[in-house]
Amino acid sequence: MNDTILSIARFLHSSRRYRKTKSAIRDILNNPNNEKKKYFDLTIIFLIVTSVFILVYEVKHPVPVWLDYYDIYFVSVVFAIEYLLRLWVHNDLSEAVLSEYYDSKFLDKPFKIARPLRKVLLEKFRYMLTPSAIIDLLAIFPAYRPIRVLRIFVLFRVLKLLRYARSINQFVEVLRNKQFELYTLLFLLAFIVITAGIAIYVLEEKVNPNINSLFDALYWSLVTISTVGFGDISPVTPEGRSISMIIIISGIAMISFATSVIVSAFSERLNEVKEMRTIERINKSESFLVICGYGQMTKMFLRQGDPAKNGYIILEKDRERVEEARKDGFDVIHEDASRTEVLKRFNTEYAKITLLCLTASDVENIYITLTAKSISKKIQVIARASHQNMVRKFEYAGANHILLPHEVVNNMIHIAITQPTMYKALHAVLTGKESAQIYEIHMNAYGSLVEKTVEDLAFREFKLLFLGIHRKGEFFFNPPKETRLEAHDVLLVIGRKISLDHFRERNRGVG
Amino acid sequence: MPSKKILLFGYGHHGKYIAKGLLEDGYVLKVAEQNETFYQNALEDGFKESVLIDMSKDEELVALDPESYDKLVCVMDDEHYNVFITLSLTSLFPDLYIVAISDSIHTTGKLKLAGAKKVIDLYEVSANRIHNILKRPITTQLMKDFIMSKEGISFMEMEIPEGSFLNGRKLEEVNFSSYDVLLVGMVDMELGRGFEFVTAGHEHQLDSGDIIVCMGEMEKLRIFKKIIGRKEPDRGDQDKKEHTS
Repeated sequence: MNDTILSIARFLHSSRRYRKTKSAIRDILNNPNNEKKKYFDLTIIFLIVTSVFILVYEVKHPVPVWLDYYDIYFVSVVFAIEYLLRLWVHNDLSEAVLSEYYDSKFLDKPFKIARPLRKVLLEKFRYMLTPSAIIDLLAIFPAYRPIRVLRIFVLFRVLKLLRYARSINQFVEVLRNKQFELYTLLFLLAFIVITAGIAIYVLEEKVNPNINSLFDALYWSLVTISTVGFGDISPVTPEGRSISMIIIISGIAMISFATSVIVSAFSERLNEVKEMRTIERINKSESFLVICGYGQMTKMFLRQGDPAKNGYIILEKDRERVEEARKDGFDVIHEDASRTEVLKRFNTEYAKITLLCLTASDVENIYITLTAKSISKKIQVIARASHQNMVRKFEYAGANHILLPHEVVNNMIHIAITQPTMYKALHAVLTGKESAQIYEIHMNAYGSLVEKTVEDLAFREFKLLFLGIHRKGEFFFNPPKETRLEAHDVLLVIGRKISLDHFRERNRGVG
Repeated sequence: MPSKKILLFGYGHHGKYIAKGLLEDGYVLKVAEQNETFYQNALEDGFKESVLIDMSKDEELVALDPESYDKLVCVMDDEHYNVFITLSLTSLFPDLYIVAISDSIHTTGKLKLAGAKKVIDLYEVSANRIHNILKRPITTQLMKDFIMSKEGISFMEMEIPEGSFLNGRKLEEVNFSSYDVLLVGMVDMELGRGFEFVTAGHEHQLDSGDIIVCMGEMEKLRIFKKIIGRKEPDRGDQDKKEHTS
């Protein structure tokens, strides 16, 4: 027995495909940054919505049989599968068995399968007891038709939506912070309701025709304390009315207490929740900018471009500057970008992130660069350096581009003095303020232009000025007409946007 | 270029480097500073003509005789002084060509008001650079090389001299690429529209006095600059041309 399980565990553990599948499924189920999770979520939400729709529709109308079958079998089966998958990926039995086996071998103890088995199953059982798992389980049940009451379990399917609605999760998260206050409140409420209910039961059970049981009394007490007051049960004796007065007043106190607790919980964490939202939103986009520091440079950068077009987020650790950025209408987060946890919150795995280190301090910029690169090499880093002798350090840290503001401006001044006309041309080309700009035309691998010659392209007809080809890291200026284009070449042209669009329209497969 | 006299205000962070670059390009420089240390630096770096003046006094500015210079460059480390000097100078001599550096949006506006012909905003230029890195990484890298490198591919602007063979020709008639240079754009004095790219689609006639901006290898550009000074294009140059690709 032991040996069979051990060999199965060993096989599963060594099977690459098994582990890959498992981690892929886990990713889709639990990783909010996974691209495919979106589709999975949408499917589940669709099933839930249709299922609830059928429930409501069924109240008054006969439902076609196939819809019934869909609801009973299909939806439930999908949910059952989902439930089992979640249970499956929650932890790893084979790993636990193996590690137990190696441990016991190491200690020269007899290997017992029971221990890891118990541990893992207990862990799974614990997962089954979490609220979301219980909801998942109950959501499967409406399939069982004979008991009509079970139909109401469809509403658990609605609760299942909770898993997919972020805002509700955040709401719960915020309230969890005030657990103590809320529990106190709940306890107090229960205490008053029960005391008042018992009192009215004792005082009026004989006189009041509406109060027939303790349940009636408790129901009345809760309806009254909540200031709802349906009026279906009302006290008839002076003693009963006195109790009503007392619980009405305590009810008002209790409601205002509850309101204040919830409001303060939110106002305390409003910024945090907002920031979480911003990060979540930005993580959904395929590529975005993370700008560290909100200083002159960042302001200028945002003024010039259209930041809304590709997502961006500003990280700033100075409170005052954060406020300033907020006032200016930018998405900003009050965080220290040099902390690993902060950058880890971004979707480094699936999104193309460009990090701009624009703080005024070299030390900070280098540190942020290192932090980013240690999280993922895929993050592109553009860093600002104050001096030429910092460049080497930034290169070691892994920065992709290093910007030397002083050097850039010194160059510009130099050109402005020595070659004023060219300065204008350069300025126009670089800022894109005038009609003409430099554009990059990227050759796709199977584009229609590959293998054609430069002459074939007839840039002149399109009113484009062809500068040269950038091929495998080298630039060929003004190549001869017979040069043939290759895949992944980048052509540089100067011209107006409409000329370029025209060119792209005519020639498919260029980007 | 006829004369290349530059008066440089400030020998701090920027002034030092600009001075060095201009000196290499053969300009005649005079440095004016009010900070003792920077002034000493300038002297040590070989700018014997440097002067130490009090910028707030008009008579000291007049004594510099700013009108005898081609261009004045204000690159003091303290931006307030850049605005102040620009203003003082333009109030004294309205026709000066002043290039100034600025390190905020507000200063840029003030410098323009004060009469600077060209204002280079530290942050604007840098922010531009970032945009370009993001949008056109290859171009940016190349442009950086164009600007930085003294040799290799670069831009050059040249004035069409009196009696050049280009004089009176239509743009389309001239085959620039046979000289291994590309015409990027020009300033047509006749039209007075300022700089225009060739791709703008306007017809131009080349006249003496027009300024053309060409791109190419530095060596070829130098040769081309010599060629346009001649009455007849030198056919021999074209035969020698060889492509390497």
